[in-house]
Amino acid sequence: MTNSLIVKNLSISVPSAKGRVAVVDDVSFEIPAGKKVAMVGESGSGKSLTAYALMRLIKDPVSIDAGDIYLNGREVLSLSNREFRLLRGKQISMIYQDPMSALNPIMRIGQQIIESIQLHSPLSKAAARKTAIELLDSVGIPEPESRMNSYPFEMSGGMLQRVVIAIALSGNPQVLIADEATTALDVTTQDRVLTLIDKLAAERGLSVLLITHDLGVAAQFSDEIMVMYAGKLVENGSVNEIFLKPAHPYTKALLDSRCDYTIDVNSPINSIAGQPPRPDNRPTGCVFSPRCAHVTEQCKTSVPPLIHSQGRLTACFRADELFRVERVN
Amino acid sequence: MSSDLKAIASTTGVSRIFRTGAHEVRALDNISFSLYEGKTLALVGESGSGKTTAARILLGLDTPTSGSVEILGQTLGTLKQEEMRLLRRQIQVVQQDPFSQLNRRHSVHRIIEGPLLAFNIGDKESRKEKIIELLEAVGLEKEHLRRRPHELSGGQCQRVAIARALALNPKIVVLDEAVSALDVSVRAQVLNLLRKLQQERGLTYLFITHDLGVAHYVADEIAVMFRGRIVERGSREDVFKKSKHHYTIGLLASVPLANPQSAKKINQLVQSLPSPAEGDACLYRTRCEVGLNRPDCKSTALALTTGTSTHSWLCHSPQGSL
Amino acid sequence: MGITIFAPIISPYDPNKVGVALPFAGPSFSHLMGSDDLGRDLLSRLLYGGRITVFIAIAATIIALIIGTLWGMVAGVQRGWIDEFLMRTADATMAIPQILFALVCISAVGASVISLPIVVGILLAPTTARMARTAVVVELASDYVVAAIATGVKKSTLIFSEVLPNIAPQLLVQLSINVAAAVMTEASLSFIGLGIQPPNASWGTLMLQGYAKLWNTYWFVLFPALAVTITILAFNAYGERIRILLDARKSSV
Repeated sequence: MTNSLIVKNLSISVPSAKGRVAVVDDVSFEIPAGKKVAMVGESGSGKSLTAYALMRLIKDPVSIDAGDIYLNGREVLSLSNREFRLLRGKQISMIYQDPMSALNPIMRIGQQIIESIQLHSPLSKAAARKTAIELLDSVGIPEPESRMNSYPFEMSGGMLQRVVIAIALSGNPQVLIADEATTALDVTTQDRVLTLIDKLAAERGLSVLLITHDLGVAAQFSDEIMVMYAGKLVENGSVNEIFLKPAHPYTKALLDSRCDYTIDVNSPINSIAGQPPRPDNRPTGCVFSPRCAHVTEQCKTSVPPLIHSQGRLTACFRADELFRVERVN
Repeated sequence: MSSDLKAIASTTGVSRIFRTGAHEVRALDNISFSLYEGKTLALVGESGSGKTTAARILLGLDTPTSGSVEILGQTLGTLKQEEMRLLRRQIQVVQQDPFSQLNRRHSVHRIIEGPLLAFNIGDKESRKEKIIELLEAVGLEKEHLRRRPHELSGGQCQRVAIARALALNPKIVVLDEAVSALDVSVRAQVLNLLRKLQQERGLTYLFITHDLGVAHYVADEIAVMFRGRIVERGSREDVFKKSKHHYTIGLLASVPLANPQSAKKINQLVQSLPSPAEGDACLYRTRCEVGLNRPDCKSTALALTTGTSTHSWLCHSPQGSL
Repeated sequence: MGITIFAPIISPYDPNKVGVALPFAGPSFSHLMGSDDLGRDLLSRLLYGGRITVFIAIAATIIALIIGTLWGMVAGVQRGWIDEFLMRTADATMAIPQILFALVCISAVGASVISLPIVVGILLAPTTARMARTAVVVELASDYVVAAIATGVKKSTLIFSEVLPNIAPQLLVQLSINVAAAVMTEASLSFIGLGIQPPNASWGTLMLQGYAKLWNTYWFVLFPALAVTITILAFNAYGERIRILLDARKSSV
């Protein structure tokens, strides 16, 4: 299977009082063609910045210190701005949390979609208009023809996000990145929008990178999961493997700390003590060691590499042994 | 809810209509609920449900267009400004955004001292003692006193907000999406803290949330709101296991669970959700499989159906009646 | 760059602060900037004049700050017809030609180091008022204000203890800009004879005195004019720096 996206040793840093500090630390992963991968993490985990790096939207003072990104086999970090701009929207596209800010408030949405279509293909205005209406229909907007003339403020959040998806897909990219794209939507709307993305991805053979803090969204709408913590990729595997049998202590602790309507209401929720480290205060050794229930001396001094364990990649020295010991349920 | 418990606050037939020019928005339509001492009521709803408006009215930050609100025996509409201010000691609020609900120019010490200063409580030393006591009760330390909000994490700010809310020893705390802006692991910490504080201090909570999981964990009673009406209300068991209203059922089905093997939905709907039709008796009708084809859902006014002493709903053809 | 712009501002102060009594009238022996037709040393006059100009400017700015802030805050807090009334008054005040206003006031009370700051202060107050009002309205919509009301904070405490500290930075920026405007206004008024009268002098007055003999003795006008320009630039630059600092702090939160 070919890989739509390959990321190797990506490191991103920001300035701080103590000099430059890493916010994404040596992250590597692959997204196979047509697969949906969720990148899960809490705030400060570096997941959004990784996404921005893929779109080459990283600007001063944030900088990419190291790494290679291969989009459809071609390394893109070394391209010039002009060269990459031709790829943005055409091979890789991104949608964000707030559709209102992504759209021009004083331009009709039809016009905005047409603009995007014409940017990526040499269609006439009339042909582009027809394509735009089809796109609006395909993203589930009722009466698409009349909606072309609406302004963003006349539409609900869910509808706007659909318009944004339409624009993102107007260039027929192979990769779509959704950065907390449904976080601001009602849960009933979220369900439909994610199902829509699912459907479109299947129809078009899209690879989707779903960035989310919502474990439920990750579990229901992706094939594979990557867990990020404090700038590090700590676990990477299929959705079943990770959710049902997590190997990394952070993944397990994160899953245990969630509050959905299936958990036991009579006991306290299993929270993780403490908080994630600030970028300028990252621990030596394993980045999760200060909060880990299974920490050893080795964890505090050496950085665990991503190793194969139990059918997935985990960055934990004790993955195998903990796995065997803990699987009592 | 069982009548042997004492209702310390209630709204009766509250409606709130917002008028902008010719346009009218009915944010709340004939809402009635009660808060029982030491218990938690969760108001669950999505955007436009009216849950935030209901919270504001209970806090006296907004006045209803009709209906009445009673807190600890006092009717809000009849109070003078100073009387209302004094009543405020009994009902406090913790809001959604951890940072913006704290004054960014004040230290943590000054923030928690605010309520104490407002009512001239104690002197400098005794106030400081109380503040440290509160700080420790919410899991923070003395060294946090001189910090400013932007030097703290979201979870820490929320703890400060909780400490401030407890400063006047209120009977009721309104939690308006108080954990929604927090990371999953921090949310767990704060929910545990809130439960502990409730048990220790006998607090009564009104929990406003759009998150069904949170509502399930915290609530003794849950009221599901849709477009300004309470469409279903009951205990955890009633609402989650024996749901009657189709909106409740739809809502539950939409929540993605962190279990990839949980049953996949049959309806893989992608279409944009239809808006309610003006003049319909039931505002959910346009999205309801059952209601779309029933003339009474369109034209017959809804009356509350009481199932059990705890469970009631607003539906002509609830789940299980076909 | 900021530092070099500041230096000329500081130098007029130094002689005055150190308390060196510079001869004011009468011939003098040091004439770094030349002497005027009565034999007075222009450097000294420039330095003393600077003291007066800057004093008037700062006094005016402070007056404008106090009046303007109260004006704007009352409007922003009360809203309704009070807000309308106060803001229309502000608009009206800004619409009056400055010179005309000054002429009327000064012919009534006379020009002095007391009256000028008040007049200039009144002219500057409306802009501060509008800014203060907008800032207050924005802050009152914040969550921490809701929290304060819910915790029983009284209205007066709310305005002064909670909201004021948050609009202070913006007021500070306005202050800087106002000083520059005040210097300009004072110099202009003095230049047309409505300001400081001889034998006292502010920079404006100096320029007026030198104006008549401009072609032969250009230095009369040159130095005061330069002083005014540099002062205005410096305060504007200072205001900008504060604003940048503010934005940085806000966005880093």
